[in-house]
Amino acid sequence: MLAYTGKRLLIMMPTLLLIMAVGFFIMQLPANDYVTRYVLQQGQMGNSTAVLQEELMRQQFGLDKPPVERFFSWMAGFLRGDMGVSFVDSRPVTTIILERLPLTLVISALAFILSWGIGIPLGVYSATHQYKAGDIALTTVAFVGIGLPDFLLALFFLVIAFLASGQVLLGLNSPEFVNAPWSFARIMDFASYAWLSVTAVAFSGMALIMRVTRNNMLEELGKNYVTTLRAKGLPERVVIWKHVFRNALHPLVTMFGQVLAFLINGFAITSAVLNLPTIQSIYLTATMQQDVFLSGGILVLIAITVMLGNLISDVLLAWLDPRVRYD
Amino acid sequence: MTELTVATAGPISTAPVERTQVLSVRQLAFRKFRRNRLAVLGTVILLIMYISAALAGFIAPYGDRETHSEFSRVGPNGLHFFDAEGQFHLTPFVYGLDRVTDRATFKQVLTVDTERRYELRWFVQGAPYTLMGLIKSDIHLFGVEEGGKLFLLGTDSKGRDLFTRILYGAQVSLTVGLVGVILSLVFGTTMGLLTGYYGGWFDEVVQRIIEMTLAFPQIPLWLALAALVPPTLPSTQVYFAISIVLSVLSWGALARQVRAMVLSLKTSDFVRAARYSNASTTRIMFKHLLPSTMSHILVVATLTIPAMILGETALSFLGLGIKAPMTSWGLLLNEAQSVQVILELPWLLSPAVFVVLTIISFNFVGDGLRDAADPFSR
Repeated sequence: MLAYTGKRLLIMMPTLLLIMAVGFFIMQLPANDYVTRYVLQQGQMGNSTAVLQEELMRQQFGLDKPPVERFFSWMAGFLRGDMGVSFVDSRPVTTIILERLPLTLVISALAFILSWGIGIPLGVYSATHQYKAGDIALTTVAFVGIGLPDFLLALFFLVIAFLASGQVLLGLNSPEFVNAPWSFARIMDFASYAWLSVTAVAFSGMALIMRVTRNNMLEELGKNYVTTLRAKGLPERVVIWKHVFRNALHPLVTMFGQVLAFLINGFAITSAVLNLPTIQSIYLTATMQQDVFLSGGILVLIAITVMLGNLISDVLLAWLDPRVRYD
Repeated sequence: MTELTVATAGPISTAPVERTQVLSVRQLAFRKFRRNRLAVLGTVILLIMYISAALAGFIAPYGDRETHSEFSRVGPNGLHFFDAEGQFHLTPFVYGLDRVTDRATFKQVLTVDTERRYELRWFVQGAPYTLMGLIKSDIHLFGVEEGGKLFLLGTDSKGRDLFTRILYGAQVSLTVGLVGVILSLVFGTTMGLLTGYYGGWFDEVVQRIIEMTLAFPQIPLWLALAALVPPTLPSTQVYFAISIVLSVLSWGALARQVRAMVLSLKTSDFVRAARYSNASTTRIMFKHLLPSTMSHILVVATLTIPAMILGETALSFLGLGIKAPMTSWGLLLNEAQSVQVILELPWLLSPAVFVVLTIISFNFVGDGLRDAADPFSR
């Protein structure tokens, strides 16, 4: 297994390189780069001297060199842990990312745990109570969760929270806590905001997991061994959790990577709508402002996460199911 | 003895054959699909949606750019059957609307005048439109009598009828995913056929590229690509650019599945027979291999469309998608971005209902097709 994991990690390298290249060159494609846009913007604001800065700024950002050369210097820096400097707020990209990483991870982890922790039991419940009122209600909720765009879900929760508490829960902390050190009061305040974004992000993932669990369970429940187990007089609880559920888990594990990607996708837009201080929301603004290094760095980071998620799901599968063989 | 004579006479021996109908695979698949109620329901809903989108000009009571500036931000004013006195009217009607300035606050207030009633009329004349680029007309399916205003789902901040805009938006929202899927179908299937059939280094390279597209998180890449579309482009080109953006990542998964099927079919007898009878490679690929993968491709396509529709909605919502003269459901939802707006004008969220309905219907149909694609199971 170790050999397999190692091999997979090795294969990841060229794929990663390709992702970096594609991500970088996509951002080079527009005819106007950041500097042209900046000058244009300044010109509209009445600052006509910005034109004089143009060449200097290009040199400073390294935008005067050909794209291929820039790509290689960017990549060389990447290997040394230097992801370049953001054009817009002229700080190193690594600093900006690290600053936002903890909260992003906390929210993602919470959403991930929530979606699996709730999705699986609900899926099992609706499979064992097929076509009963509970199942129908859950199925409806799941379909709404899958059908409703993430941003609308976020907005919807925002409105409910406003009607309930009279507060607009944008961001992750009240204004007075944003730059405060982490104390108990701030954690409480954080919790009062975070539940909203966590539920909004976790909801569609949960719906997906619930549906898949339900389908798998139903498929397994129809098999002959279940009848045998029941005929043996095993309690239903044991039949479900010890036998059927374990077999139904198999396809769910394969979905691990997919759900991770799903959460990241949903997160990108939810963050923008809820104005969360996460990596994804700055990715959006950086992309729109053509802040190449910042958005490129984040894109690569996200891609690595998804690839690792896929790897973990494959390894987990081999670990859980001895029948799976890799060569 | 009698039995024997009857049997030789023939009529009875054919009887059981008459009773057991012989069904083709396609008929079996159709039967199985029809038995799935949700899938049928989804098909019906989608058909209604697509037909109304195609006939948007006729069904919508107003033109797509017609503004009623006095009546901006009007809530849905539904059709009534009972008037203020509780009397029943066979033809539904709407009440007259008046804009009055409140003397105390100088705020524009909308009042409903129950004195004036405007009855619903079929086939009324209104703004001219062109149906599917061919038929010019100015007859609308329904409307109210002269002087009255019918806003089934209310109006937006510029006084445009939301129901009309949703119908016109459907033309974009429902088709952008379709165009995207067709693009990725054509590309993905061709790639899958080629790589599966030829193999070798070409296969290796394409597989690496596909792995990359699969590792790319969809939305971030869509955002990056959509940001590339210059804002100065005319809206029809933006439309196609967006559908290309949507299809960039989805061809890979399809190509993989087609490849896997081709790999297993390549060694089957009918392909070998075709090769021995000197069929050209193109003929083998498109005449023999492609039809066998078709049912599977159809299922994947149906299940890919909803993701694309959601993608378009999200992009337009963020202002990176469809642009102004055109309209789409995402763009309509773009107006309802803040809590304040939603609380004040909740009807602006009504396009969301159509989005959810479409996505769920596509999922139902896809599930039904998946079961039907394998008509012999269970």
